[in-house]
Amino acid sequence: MVEQFFAWLESSALGAFVKDQGATFATIEAVHLMALAVLGGAVFVSDLRLLNVVLSDVPSRTVTDNAHKAFKIALAVLMITGFVMLSGVAMKCYHNFYYWVKMGALAVGIVFAFAIRQPLLRADHATLNPWTLRLVAIASLSLWFLVAASGRWIGFSS
Amino acid sequence: MLNSLLMEFAQWLAEQPFSISLHESFYLFNWLETTHVLTLMLSLGMLFVIDARMLGWWLIEVPASRLAARLALPMWIGFSIMIATGVTLYTAIPVRYTTSIWFRTKLILLCVAALNAWTFHRHLNASAGTWELDKVPPRRTRLAAATSLCLWAGIVVCGRFIAYDWFDCGKAMSVFMNWATGCVAIAASQ
Repeated sequence: MVEQFFAWLESSALGAFVKDQGATFATIEAVHLMALAVLGGAVFVSDLRLLNVVLSDVPSRTVTDNAHKAFKIALAVLMITGFVMLSGVAMKCYHNFYYWVKMGALAVGIVFAFAIRQPLLRADHATLNPWTLRLVAIASLSLWFLVAASGRWIGFSS
Repeated sequence: MLNSLLMEFAQWLAEQPFSISLHESFYLFNWLETTHVLTLMLSLGMLFVIDARMLGWWLIEVPASRLAARLALPMWIGFSIMIATGVTLYTAIPVRYTTSIWFRTKLILLCVAALNAWTFHRHLNASAGTWELDKVPPRRTRLAAATSLCLWAGIVVCGRFIAYDWFDCGKAMSVFMNWATGCVAIAASQ
């Protein structure tokens, strides 16, 4: 079922478009990396603020609220460009261990960001246990690092 | 002339034992490259946070110079790691990188981005306090931030394109491209 979907995706018009020219894939990859930088900025600035490493003289809620907006846009661009890239190399990814590590980490990351972290950070941060905020920041940094690192490793293990 | 000098240096570097062992190691090279790429989440991430503030996109309730000053350290930690891993990666495959049009363009864009950052930093220091909490920062500030983001987008594109062999030496290319890539020096040394 999943394998059939991947095979269909690679043979679709989108897959053909991505594979037609080497520069198409490379350009989408570059946009994927730019969005990764924006996601990194959003994650680092808010998590380092929660850890009191940067901007400790700015209210943490101000930083996390602003960062979450950029995070959502960057994640959307990453997922769209990621899906388009996948269509060009779907069967290679299907048989690639690190691709599935990345997808697993991404799923956990999305659930964590939208179902746990953001609802928690909507509260007054002063009322939250400082250790809760620190653990949320460490978990968030670790998860997005794992998503990005396993993504890079897909290319090395073909 | 410059192409020949660069090529002589690259060929000398390629014969050094550390260059050969780095080139032949699978994991060390890949770890270095992964570190180089992933560190953009920190360096370019912080740069984006600062530039987006200068454009008035977000965090307008935080004074611009304070944001830039507070985020400079993590940004520079990121850039230091990128420079160190980037230089090490260059030593692994010096001849190919020296004759890569993307690598060459990337270095030129890096110099322009550094110049833009330096001049903007001076301007920011001189004008601090006059516009810091304005909803729309001054035109010059927005222009410098937009230039910075465009230059870094170009640097990311060039960095990613280095991996592709579209303009490698030996391919049919114009006289200008042979000169711009430095492939002319390889032809002369053979």
